Amino acid sequence: MTKEKTAEEQCNEACEANERIQEQLKFSKIKVKAVKLTGEINIPELNPKSMLSVKPQLLTAKEMLEHLGYPAGGLVPNWKEVFLRKMDEMLKKYRSVKLYMDICVKCGACVDKCHYYLGTGDPLNMPVARQELMRKVYRRYFTLPGKLFGSRFVNGSDLSEELLVMWYTYFYQCSECRRCSVFCPYGIDTAEITMAAREILNSVGIVQKYLHEIIFKAQVIGNNLGMQQNAIVNALEFVQDELQEETGLDIKVPIDVEGAEVLFVTPSADFFASPHIESLYGYAKVFHQAGISWTMSTHASEGGNFGLFIHNYEHMKKINKRIWEAARALKVKRVVGGECGHMWRVLSSYSNTMWGPFDYLDQKYKRPQHICELTNDLLNRGALKIDKSANEEFIVTMHDSCQVARGMELGGMPNGQFEIPRAVIRGVCEKFVEMPADTIKERTFCCGAGQGLLGDDMMATRVKGAMPRMQAYHYAKRESGVNFVALICAICKAQLSKMFPEYGVAMEEVGGIHQLVGRAIVLGAKESV
Amino acid sequence: MNGMMNGIKFMIDMYVSGIVYAACLVFVAGFLCKIYYGYYKTPQPLKIPQTPQPTTLSGVIMRMAGDVFFFRSLAKGTTLLFIAGWVFHFTFFLMIIRHLRYFVNPVPGFIIALGNGALAIASLLMVALVVLFLRRFINKKVNYVSSFADYFVLLLIMGIVQSGIMLHYERFRPNIIEGKAFMLELLELKTPFLVMIMHPHHAPGNSLFITHLSLVALLLIYFPFSKLMHAGGYFFSPTRNMINNAREVRYINPWDKG
Repeated sequence: MTKEKTAEEQCNEACEANERIQEQLKFSKIKVKAVKLTGEINIPELNPKSMLSVKPQLLTAKEMLEHLGYPAGGLVPNWKEVFLRKMDEMLKKYRSVKLYMDICVKCGACVDKCHYYLGTGDPLNMPVARQELMRKVYRRYFTLPGKLFGSRFVNGSDLSEELLVMWYTYFYQCSECRRCSVFCPYGIDTAEITMAAREILNSVGIVQKYLHEIIFKAQVIGNNLGMQQNAIVNALEFVQDELQEETGLDIKVPIDVEGAEVLFVTPSADFFASPHIESLYGYAKVFHQAGISWTMSTHASEGGNFGLFIHNYEHMKKINKRIWEAARALKVKRVVGGECGHMWRVLSSYSNTMWGPFDYLDQKYKRPQHICELTNDLLNRGALKIDKSANEEFIVTMHDSCQVARGMELGGMPNGQFEIPRAVIRGVCEKFVEMPADTIKERTFCCGAGQGLLGDDMMATRVKGAMPRMQAYHYAKRESGVNFVALICAICKAQLSKMFPEYGVAMEEVGGIHQLVGRAIVLGAKESV
Repeated sequence: MNGMMNGIKFMIDMYVSGIVYAACLVFVAGFLCKIYYGYYKTPQPLKIPQTPQPTTLSGVIMRMAGDVFFFRSLAKGTTLLFIAGWVFHFTFFLMIIRHLRYFVNPVPGFIIALGNGALAIASLLMVALVVLFLRRFINKKVNYVSSFADYFVLLLIMGIVQSGIMLHYERFRPNIIEGKAFMLELLELKTPFLVMIMHPHHAPGNSLFITHLSLVALLLIYFPFSKLMHAGGYFFSPTRNMINNAREVRYINPWDKG
């Protein structure tokens, strides 16, 4: 009798804990106003708890949660145990996490580097303070003094529901853009810590909706938007019709063509979203004019890989697998990636580890290649005829997308990821101007919505996080008359084209680099190659 | 009377040799364990080098050398911290080199030469520490993220430097020749036995010196359990020590190895 009762009581306790957590994590719509643009990025005073109420929606769809292997009923009853077990696993499996827990000296080099801190002034958006949310738990449960003398002694935190709320709030106000890490004397990468924290939250049943819904769709349907195969074919046929109508030429947007030389993967947003689709026209024109046979794939209909945003190797691997399966099935010689930031990081930095070696591809080219590398190469060889006057109306600047800028080389050069896209822009435009040096290249500011924060439920962080980029753009606009920002990331395109109007700038001033290429390319019979 | 003096000397000898051995043991064992089991043995599944990461090994070594010797990454963001931090580390390093004269025989020429500037170097070290302390206290953002441990280390090192500077002066200076002879015996691991038979060499009984040494011992013992592990940890930082060539050379995830 007594045994049963305690079991029931335990259940009640767990249910109540879950209810309390659900109540505290409940999404509420928060309207924020964009600040006035002055061209200056001022470092704000501390404004504690100003962003505490901002919480993204939770994923509740049982089917998705079960497929992803996360608890489907909210907070699990023995969550403290599960939490610590998962954290232990993270510390043992990721040197980055373990090391970065240990070696931060809290020097403060990062405190004013995060765009979310600059936009909000919330001290917990300072990278070191964000990391401390995890480090406090680390010190309490994973160091000898913490185990022996408790959290007071080591300035740690015992696990509590309040802590869970703080984690969920502030680890979903980090866009894993790695800007802080550039300035860190030891290269401590907050992104690695955020990724681990999100996976730990997932394991106890606190799963953010936008990000994980997309991971589910990418694994099960094959792309982030959940488009079925026939929808993709229709969308691409529409693109092809548009192109042919506009140019009067037989430009193809091929899909699932076996034996093509290039498999082209790009974010599914490129198929129809604006301004993404403009770049798709650009890619097709480049391939057409260079005479390179190419194809897209219904199986690998997504370049983006949201698995990167949490420390769950299996999710990322599964999504990435489709690309390499398609490459083998279609017997292509090269894989080329379109304009997308985190897609490019996973594709270039991690593919080889997860699904290499790529000995079945053409060894003459980088494996995989970035579309900017390909276009730049063609421009350098004079293989494309360009009419820069088509872009005469634009004074162009470039927004470096975080995952490209602070990720991999392009073209085999350490700074190729800055130089090659700029070379392409200069190759197709007359006028190119840089934004202030502190806001570009390795120091670039995130658009404010990267790594799972692009949902409509995250509008508060999106508007505030976009502030530094908007100020830098405004400065270039005021000083040099810039009227177009070119970039190579689908998330940046979606975010900035929404934020520009919020800040009083026309949304048409955002677009991909290949949008400019597509406009300037002179189509028709080639004179020489 | 003589017997009592001997007794005190014996206690001091035992205390000094005790803390020196204990501190060295904890420091070396703790440091190596952390590095080996904590950092070296923990796998890094994926390549996460960070811009401006070179594409060759020699380039990576150069980049890391720039970080270690000239604090290149730190210099990008904050000038005051960069200068104070660099001066602190560099002068601290020089003082450690200078102290080698108590442990090696004969003393190399450059260490003797360093002696001419020792007081100036130590003073500079103290100034840098004061700047770091004040910055931590005054800068609201840094203050927000600082905890007792962060101030504690600074105060501890300040204590070491201050007592060291005072020892420089005639009034407080211990018998250096006797002290060095004692240290050399410590290094040969003979002292515990020699103390038993009342060996002629004794640890300096100067209370300021004992304070200085005790604080150093405390720092060494604290080291492996604290943020001071950044000293060895930096070399294992995957954003800095990985070569930016994931497309060229396949990186194998250690999880996948047997």
